Amino acid sequence: MREYKISLDLPCSKKSLLRARWRTLEFARKHGFEKEADDITLAAEEALKNVIQHACPPDNKMHLEMVAKGDVMVVEVSDAGHGFNLEAYECKPHSPYDLCGRGIQIMRGLMDRVSIVSDTDGTVVRMEKKKRVEREDIREQSGG
Amino acid sequence: MEILVEEKEGYHTVTPVGELDIYTVPLFRKVILKVEGDLKKGVILDLSQMSFVDSSGIGALIETYQKITSKNGEIVFILDNPRIMKIFKLVKLDRVFKIFPNLGQALQSIGVSRGYIDEEFFSDIT
Repeated sequence: MREYKISLDLPCSKKSLLRARWRTLEFARKHGFEKEADDITLAAEEALKNVIQHACPPDNKMHLEMVAKGDVMVVEVSDAGHGFNLEAYECKPHSPYDLCGRGIQIMRGLMDRVSIVSDTDGTVVRMEKKKRVEREDIREQSGG
Repeated sequence: MEILVEEKEGYHTVTPVGELDIYTVPLFRKVILKVEGDLKKGVILDLSQMSFVDSSGIGALIETYQKITSKNGEIVFILDNPRIMKIFKLVKLDRVFKIFPNLGQALQSIGVSRGYIDEEFFSDIT
């Protein structure tokens, strides 16, 4: 099965978010994830936004990697920042009235699988999205 | 992003057009600050022309909700975009905000439709 991959090194700035948004949308659509493209793009953007707002990597860079293979697209966002205490974050109950802290909630809600590894050397957010198969697609595939 | 503001019968209708995200939130906040200072009965936040929202935009909407309600103002939302509604549901805002699919229903909920109904401004009531 063929694998398509793209890697981007981006400076930690708001400008990079817009660039990442369009590159993610383009990559997802190009590799058959049209229906999932909006979800994947917002999830990627939220992960990158967290790097800009919280990680403060000393090299001022963040890395975005996207891989499409078969019916799964993987997005990985990493940085060499100071990391954060994920356990404390996940244990905290989130009220709809909270003014911040929604990025991870949105990522988890939009993607099928999200794993976050964070320590003092940096953070890696890995997200997977499976291609949605609609009933019409199944009918077409089975020739019905 | 463009933000349209109109005031009638004591209600400000605020309509963000385009993307409400980390880039456009500062402008949105400025507009809300002005509306808040001029607050009479309440705010109708018409999100029907909003094409994209991220967590920063969501935060700004909650901030607006809190500002208006803390001044005893009424705030209702118009939203018919299923994509944005999906994000609202993810962060459980659909349980907090009073959301209506169109202006007609929003006006009905705040009990002012009679005063608005013949106005040209609200000629798109469905």
